[in-house]
Order: sequence, then C-alpha cells, then structure tokens
Amino acid sequence: MDAFLLQMAKAITAGLLMGLVFGLVALGLTIIFGVMDIVNFAHGEFLMIGMYAGLLTATVFGLDPLFGLPVAAVVGFALGIACYYGLVRFLLRGPMVAQLFGTFGLMLFLRNVALLIMGADPQSVHSGLLVGKSFVLGPGIVIEVTKLAAGGLSLLAFGFMWWVMKRTKIGKALTATALDAQAARYMGIPTERMNSLAWGLGGATVGMAGALLLNFWPVEPNVGLLFTMIAFATVALGGFGSISGAAVAGLIVGLLINIPSMWDAFSMLIGGDRLQVGLLHQFKYSFVYAAYFLIMVFRPRGLFGWKH
Amino acid sequence: MARGYLMAALAVFAAFSLCTNAIAVDEIKIGVLYPLTGGAAAEGKELRDGAELAVEIANNVKTELDMAMAKNSGIKSLGGAKIKLIIQDHQGNPQLGADLAKKLIQDDKVVGLMGAYHSAVTKTVAAVAERYGVPMINESSTSPALTKEGLKWFWRTTPHDGTFTNDLFLFLQGLTQGKVRGVKPFDKKELLPIVSACEKTEWGSNVDAAIKEIGKPSGLEPQISLLYAAKAPDLSSEGQSLLSVKPATMLFAGYGADAILMIKTLKSLKAKPKLIWGQNAGFESPEFVSALGEDTEGILTRTVFSPRVGEVKKVSAQVNNLYKTKTGRDLSGASARAFTATQAWVHILEKAGSTKPQDLQKAANEVKIDADELIVPWQGIKFTTTGPDLGQNVLGTGMIGQYQKGKDGKMILEIVYPFELATADMIFPIKGW
Repeated sequence: MDAFLLQMAKAITAGLLMGLVFGLVALGLTIIFGVMDIVNFAHGEFLMIGMYAGLLTATVFGLDPLFGLPVAAVVGFALGIACYYGLVRFLLRGPMVAQLFGTFGLMLFLRNVALLIMGADPQSVHSGLLVGKSFVLGPGIVIEVTKLAAGGLSLLAFGFMWWVMKRTKIGKALTATALDAQAARYMGIPTERMNSLAWGLGGATVGMAGALLLNFWPVEPNVGLLFTMIAFATVALGGFGSISGAAVAGLIVGLLINIPSMWDAFSMLIGGDRLQVGLLHQFKYSFVYAAYFLIMVFRPRGLFGWKH
Repeated sequence: MARGYLMAALAVFAAFSLCTNAIAVDEIKIGVLYPLTGGAAAEGKELRDGAELAVEIANNVKTELDMAMAKNSGIKSLGGAKIKLIIQDHQGNPQLGADLAKKLIQDDKVVGLMGAYHSAVTKTVAAVAERYGVPMINESSTSPALTKEGLKWFWRTTPHDGTFTNDLFLFLQGLTQGKVRGVKPFDKKELLPIVSACEKTEWGSNVDAAIKEIGKPSGLEPQISLLYAAKAPDLSSEGQSLLSVKPATMLFAGYGADAILMIKTLKSLKAKPKLIWGQNAGFESPEFVSALGEDTEGILTRTVFSPRVGEVKKVSAQVNNLYKTKTGRDLSGASARAFTATQAWVHILEKAGSTKPQDLQKAANEVKIDADELIVPWQGIKFTTTGPDLGQNVLGTGMIGQYQKGKDGKMILEIVYPFELATADMIFPIKGW
C-alpha cells in the first residue's frame, strides 16, 4: 500500500508540475485567441525564439540562464508586436483561411530563419541555478526544480494576466475588443493597439516560458512543434480565450500524460502484469487527444470557454 | 590516296573514341538522403561530412592513404569519372524521403541512392529504389527488418541490430565473467533488474523486440520494456516507470534530442543504475556529449567507430586526421559508416565499369572489400545474395564504447567490447546521480 501511495504521489506530482509548464506555454496562445479569434500557428516558434534568447543571454554574457527570462520576455513582446503590425494586421482583412495560412507561413518562416542563424543542432545550457537540479521530498518524491520554477512562474503569470484582464482598464479594453471589436471602436477604445498588445503579451509570456524551459530542454529550431500540439489541445480543453481555463486544462493534460505512471502504482497494488505499461507509454499522448476529442464533441467551447 | 582515306578514317575513329571517352569521363551522380534538420540533424551533418570526405578521397589521388580508392583520381574503370553527391534533407520524415528519392531518380537522373539513417525513412526510400530498379546502399539504418524483405536493389554495409543486440548480451555475460578489462567477475544477479526504453518507430520497436528475444535465453531479459514517442516534450512518466523497480541495468534506443532528454530526466529523478547502455544513434552523436557534458561519464553505447580504433588500424587514424582537419571533429559512428558506404559505392562502380543499373546490381552482389581497406574494425564488406538476410554485409561487427573523461577533461569513447580491443578499464558500477 505504501508503495502504491508513493508511486501515485510521484505520478501526480510529476503530472501537476508538467501541467503547470504546459499551462504556461498555452497561456500566450489563449490570450491572442481570446482577443482576436486568431489561432497563432507560430506559437511554438515564439517559444523556440524565447529559448534561443535565453540561450544567447546565458552563453554570450556568461550569465545564469535565469537572466534570460526578462530578455526573452522583451524579445517575445517585441516579436509579438512586430508580427502583428508586419503581418497579422493585413491578414485580418482577409478571410479566415488567410489567417490560418498566414500564421502557418509565419511558423515556417521563423523556423527556417532560426535554422539559418542558429543551425540545426540541439543546444543546451550546462550550468545555472536551476539546471539539472532536483530535490527529494518525503519518502522519495523527486521534485525537478526547473519544472517547479516553471510552475511557480506559471501561477504568477496566470495571476498577473487574470488581474490585468479583470481589474485594469487595459484588461477591460482588451475584453471589450474581444467581445465586439466594432462596438469597442465606437466607444473610443483603440482596438488596433489592443490587438497589438494582445500579441505582445502573448509573445512575452511564451518567450518567458521558453527561457525557463531552457533550463531543462535542449533547444533546436523544431522544438516548438513538440509543445504546440499539446498547447493547442490544452487551450481547446480549457476553452479558447479563457485564462483560468488554460491553467486548469494544463494541469489536466499533465495528469493525463502521467496515466502510465499511475498504472504502475495500480499494478503494484494488484500485482498485475507490469509489462503492459510499455503499451501505455507508447500512447500516453493519445489520452490528451482523446480528451480533446471528447471536449470538441460534447462541449465545443471547452471547460471554461465563453466564446462560441 | 588510299593512305589518305585510311588516315582520315583513323582520325575519325580516334576522334570518336576520344569523344565516347569524353562522354564517359563525366560525373557519376549519387543521390544521398540524410536528416539535415530536425531532432537528428547533428547526426545528419556527421553522415554528410563522412560521405563528402570519402568522395573527396575517391575523386583525387592521395598517395599517403593506404586504400585503393585513394590511388586513382575518380573511377578508373569509367575513365576517371568523378563522383558527385546530390544531398537532400528528409527531416526524418518517411514520406518526404520517398518523394525526394523519386525526384532524385527522375529529375536528377542519379545512378544510385545512399541513406537514409532513420530506418523508417530508409524503408520508404528502399521501396522507391526497388520500384525504379535503382541501386541503394544503406550506411547506418540498423532495423533488421530492412534486409528481410527480399529487396533486390538494396544493400546494407552496417551490421544490424540483431548483431548489435547479440553483442550487448555477449558483453553483459562477459562482464559478469570478468572478461571486461578492469572488472572482476561477479554474480549475474547484480545486473538485475534490467529495464529498457526504445523510441517507437521502425528502428526502436525492432531494437525493443531484439532485446526481449535475445536477452531471454541468458536470463537477462528486461523486467520493464517500454516504447515512447521520440518527438515528445516530456519523458518523466517514462523515467518514473523505469525507476519504479530500482533497475541495475538500463537499456535505451533513442534518436537525437530524446536521448538527451532521457538522460536529463534520469538525472533529475536521481537515478542510480549500475550500467546504462544506448543503442548508438542519439547516444553516440557529438551533441549527446556537448549537451550533457560530464553527465555522460560511464554511459555505454554500441558503436562501430571510436577514434581509438586508430591505435590498432593505421588507415583509420589517417582518415580521422583528414576528417578532423576538414571538420574540427573526430570521426563518429555515423560519419565513419557514411564514409564506408560511400567507399562501397566507389568499389561497386569500379567493379561494374558502367553506370547501368543491371551492371551495378551485379557488381554489388559480387563485390568484396578487404578489412585492410576499411576504417571501421570489420572483417570487410561482402553482401549476402541468398537467404533471409538479402543484401546484408556479413562481415560487419559491432563495438561497445564507454564515455570516459580523457586527460584533457573532454569526454571520449573508450572501447570496452570486443574484449580484446579494449582501450581502457571499464567504469563499473557507474556513480549515477
């Protein structure tokens, strides 16, 4: 029983930590969608650029990778604004398909620019306050410090964004733009600036996420793809445009991909065939997409979504 | 007058023969498919550099090298024709690989193909080669299934995972019997429990099957064996499952970034195995060492090459020096095998004296390259022409290396298997994290 509880606790801890990381990555995506109804396919590339910004700060200046966080946030913000004024503004005039293909093109463009400048090899940081660090809690629950920090930052970012959206004038203006851009314009809200702000905030949060992930993950031009698929599922699960939804959905996704570890715990309890766990790991992302599918069928606006 | 005609006829004949020679002395295009972007990009670059060095040697006279292809400029039997590689990036994508192969055959008119590293890509490219009747040499895809399909236009120079996995268990048994340099005999139970995790495409799932099958008779089969998605952001649940039985021996098969992520995850989960072995690929790429640094110390990987081979094979040291001058890096298992496969192409072209597919097919089936010619420590290259392992080089052998810290503080792959080739005492058990 002890072994069962320990294994279960390990699985749930790992799931929650990874869930917060997924939530943080998904946050920017949901902000942009919430305000503008645009799905940013280049979201993973923003993450990748955040990672490179962190990497370059750490290697060029010989600083701890944590110093890359503000740099990546600024780079992400600037990138978001630049993408809005350089591309998205024009896409908005076209049909929905133009928006989809436009950000898809942006994804390919950013990925290949990174390839040109940074090369295709995976690179990672070797030393730093958080790099490769972990500590043991209680009877053997390992807490990975990078993920814990990402989780902490994630909660902060969610809290901040929630405060901005609900308690500030800018947030109200953003929400108004999201609800009805035309009416907002009549009310004197500079919707154009609000849209660019949404892109900037989205870019800044995902850039920071990237700089933090760098402490654990190697970065290469295609790294964004690994996280974007999960981020899309997370946002859809939580409800497009919902900030608290992204947080909760992130946690759900984290727990879902740890189902194989939980199965380990149960097999310890009942003494079942442990070999079956191999099969579960192989399909662990299927649980996420299955949940995504079910949500799409039974509650298309997502758990916390308010847009139809 | 008659003499004048004769002279004129001779002149025309000479001009014609010169002319045909001039047509023959052109270039021989070989289409090469490697993953130059994506998770395995670092290995792709190694493969490309290895193949390009071999072409450079084949196309120019390098008298200082003790190998046949360095003695001539170009392919002698084809009038000194130069080899030209047309290298394409398949990004690790089997469908893209097949499309590129078609393009190389139809548009670029290549005489043959080489590639493609990922077994899953090699499988689709080999299918295209078979359909068009164009010879393909594979340098580094080790899924045993590739040579089991009876393909008539596919030859593989590298040993496959059946051989490599066999080597692994011979090594593990030898380790318990005190055959490994620097390790005293001990009870087999100390290596248990064994766990394994392989990526789930064509290659990894075949390694997984081979580990289970070959480990069973010796009582060294894994207690947990799992497959995972290589293109995944998180391996912590896999790590947790593997560590739940407190494994002594951990076996892996991973491509580029996932191998790094796996070791990082094990470290963060404070794993303490006695032995970690990786089935080459991600565990052998230069990036594995540069990304993980000293965390690689003690990790074993099966390989076909270590710069240490140069100590027992002069030609390996010579080629390694050239490679190092060209790229700044030592040859790795990937670059050494790409070099060797390109060398096999040179020998086949030389033997065929033609670029017609049928002649090349006959030459590939008949070619025999001696061990002295090769930079890898094999007994040579000779492809099977009958039986279930069609097109497989039967003279290839594997090695197992261990990352150890060199005198300059850099990590280097020391040979621990074959036992007689050992270049250093093995670190056992490893210290873990």
